[in-house]
Amino acid sequence: MNEKNRAPRTMELPRPEKVPCPYGETYQADVVVIGCGFAGLNAAVSAKESGQSVLVIDKGRPGYSGLSPWPSSFRWFDPERGDDEEAFKEAMKRGGDYMSNLRWYDCWLKESKGIYERLTDWGILAQYPKATEAGDFYEREDFAGYREMFDKFDRHKKWIEVLNRYEIPYLEHTMVTDLVTGADESDEKNGDGETPDTRKICGVMAFHVPSGQIITVSAKAVVMATGGGSYKPTGYPVGGDTFDGEYMAWELGLPITGKEFEDFHTTSSQAPGNVFLDNHWQYLENIWLCGGDVDPGSAAGYAAAKGKAMVLKRVNGSVNGLPVADGSEIQDVATANYTRRGGSKVYETDPEEIRSGKMSTPVAASTLAGAATGMCCHLTSGVFCGLEETNGETEIAGLYVAGDGIHATSPSGSAYPCGVGFTSCFTSIDGDHAGRAAAAYARKQKFIGLPEEEIQRKKEDILAPMKRESGFDPNWARDVLHSIMAPYWISVVKSEETLKAALVQVEYMRDHVIPKLQAGTSHDLRLCLEMKHKVLSAELKLRAGLERKESRGTTYREDYPCRDDENYLCYITQRKADDGGSSFDKVAVPDAWAGDRKEAYQTRYVYFFPGEPEKMGFEVPRSGWERKGERK
Amino acid sequence: MSVVRIDLNRCIGCENCVNICPMDVFYFHETAHKSVLAYPENCQSCGQCYLNCKGHAIGMSNDTYGYPITAYRGVTTSPMNRMVVTEPGVLTELTKGKLP
Repeated sequence: MNEKNRAPRTMELPRPEKVPCPYGETYQADVVVIGCGFAGLNAAVSAKESGQSVLVIDKGRPGYSGLSPWPSSFRWFDPERGDDEEAFKEAMKRGGDYMSNLRWYDCWLKESKGIYERLTDWGILAQYPKATEAGDFYEREDFAGYREMFDKFDRHKKWIEVLNRYEIPYLEHTMVTDLVTGADESDEKNGDGETPDTRKICGVMAFHVPSGQIITVSAKAVVMATGGGSYKPTGYPVGGDTFDGEYMAWELGLPITGKEFEDFHTTSSQAPGNVFLDNHWQYLENIWLCGGDVDPGSAAGYAAAKGKAMVLKRVNGSVNGLPVADGSEIQDVATANYTRRGGSKVYETDPEEIRSGKMSTPVAASTLAGAATGMCCHLTSGVFCGLEETNGETEIAGLYVAGDGIHATSPSGSAYPCGVGFTSCFTSIDGDHAGRAAAAYARKQKFIGLPEEEIQRKKEDILAPMKRESGFDPNWARDVLHSIMAPYWISVVKSEETLKAALVQVEYMRDHVIPKLQAGTSHDLRLCLEMKHKVLSAELKLRAGLERKESRGTTYREDYPCRDDENYLCYITQRKADDGGSSFDKVAVPDAWAGDRKEAYQTRYVYFFPGEPEKMGFEVPRSGWERKGERK
Repeated sequence: MSVVRIDLNRCIGCENCVNICPMDVFYFHETAHKSVLAYPENCQSCGQCYLNCKGHAIGMSNDTYGYPITAYRGVTTSPMNRMVVTEPGVLTELTKGKLP
């Protein structure tokens, strides 16, 4: 029988029982960077450029793991092209419901163009013909053929090229499970007799997932660029992001904020679990260049439009139900060509302007909320480092956080009024700052080694699921948690009773299921540890949702439908209390970020939630819960 | 939604799927010099393995492991949910409303 006529072979070979580990058991580096997306890559290079040795550890392969493979756009600020910093700031303030971090917004104003130039130099922003311009790839749906034609431009492979160019070693498919802190005895000797700071970072513990080998790394400083996470097993591509960094930060007693906010990304009704269907062309095509699309006349309307699209669309779907998905909502190529999202206002008239805006070849239209249940990326959420900082410096000496979902610093606030392309740029700046700061800190430190007893204890903790003789499958636990957290009455339209009911379930999982999760292989071990992180994240999310007794941005409380500036124009932080629960604090938004508090409520906010106008005593807009005066 | 094996005979042993997959779904059989689709339940359907498979030995199916739970879900009458992406043209036929 010749090759052509042979039947396809679909039976799999057995998984190899033993997988060799390509790495050693111990490493040492001045700065360890955990996670290598936009934030991690920039942190690693900046720390290396500062003269320190750097080791990158990624749970997958850099360039292909976490959220960083997926941006469609990149946005920067260019005053030479007439961008208006006050206009965009106004859109950020209003659209983010006054939760936007404007200190970091100023960093973006000053540095985003430089980051554009850096990423261009690295080849990540290379421009090349899109599928509809390059042949008949779109008509034939020939994804692999298009990839092969433009393989040399593939941005995903640039990550490793950049690491190699800067001679930065990396461990891939390796999960960091613990941050190790210790005491530096010389601090005591050289100091004023006070107890040395025992909360100084001295390294990390990790394991190589395919082989299960435990790896310890001695380090002077650590940058956590681990991203956020999602409870979802499949769908929007964050399955690899599982709140690992948030868990480690919590265990060290660091404050976490923004957990009450919700992801606004959508997926398609036809195939909600199908990332590939929703994202194929924008994954394959170049990152589109954006910016310069807001002027003083359009700022408030820009913010209102984003709020309606990202907040009210989710809420309306919950209240009204969904239309039948019959395929007619799938974009056609003609429509998409005329929709230039996020492009400069002078793109058509200024030949020097390259920010065309997003013009991806169309994919199935996204109509369905809940693409990534539990995710608070693109929002001010993660480890809270204070309102003055611009380095991601935490309360633990030598520990820095950077990037989306782990460093609560985003100027996007409680919603995402920035337009497409902001996060890929902003997280790069965030990473650059953290990398430089970590290197400057490391330069003054010496290695203090990892305490042997603690290493042994942590090893036993990591491997515990493999030693259990009976227990539960982590995949089952994942599905159960997802079922608790995904329904709209938990994730979109919240109330005291629904959140409390979910919290009872999650706390049960924490106390009775997580301790019994069992791993047959090191692959399962990763899942067991990830589930522990996801359950903690769900607990923090529900507690934060209960604590914010108002509606703001992407968190809508049916029982508190109004904004309550007096009590809740603040970041709500929680940290691990002595009893293991949450110890809450409120950090007020500075006056300079809070807009005009005396402005009339009806104009101060750019859209309204169901029940809000009635409660505040003004007319309900006919076209929904939109800003009064804008409806036609 | 998950990655599916189209034809193991086509696997040339390039290991792209093993190296690229962020979810540890693939392993490598050294003796047979073929990839092993070991944990399809953990596939997040990103399609990066499919796009980078040199031998075109894997595809993406909408049927495997059903739909994930979302905040809500409407009724769908589109044939899109029958999709299995393997060869060029399959998805186009479905978006036009034709069943294979």
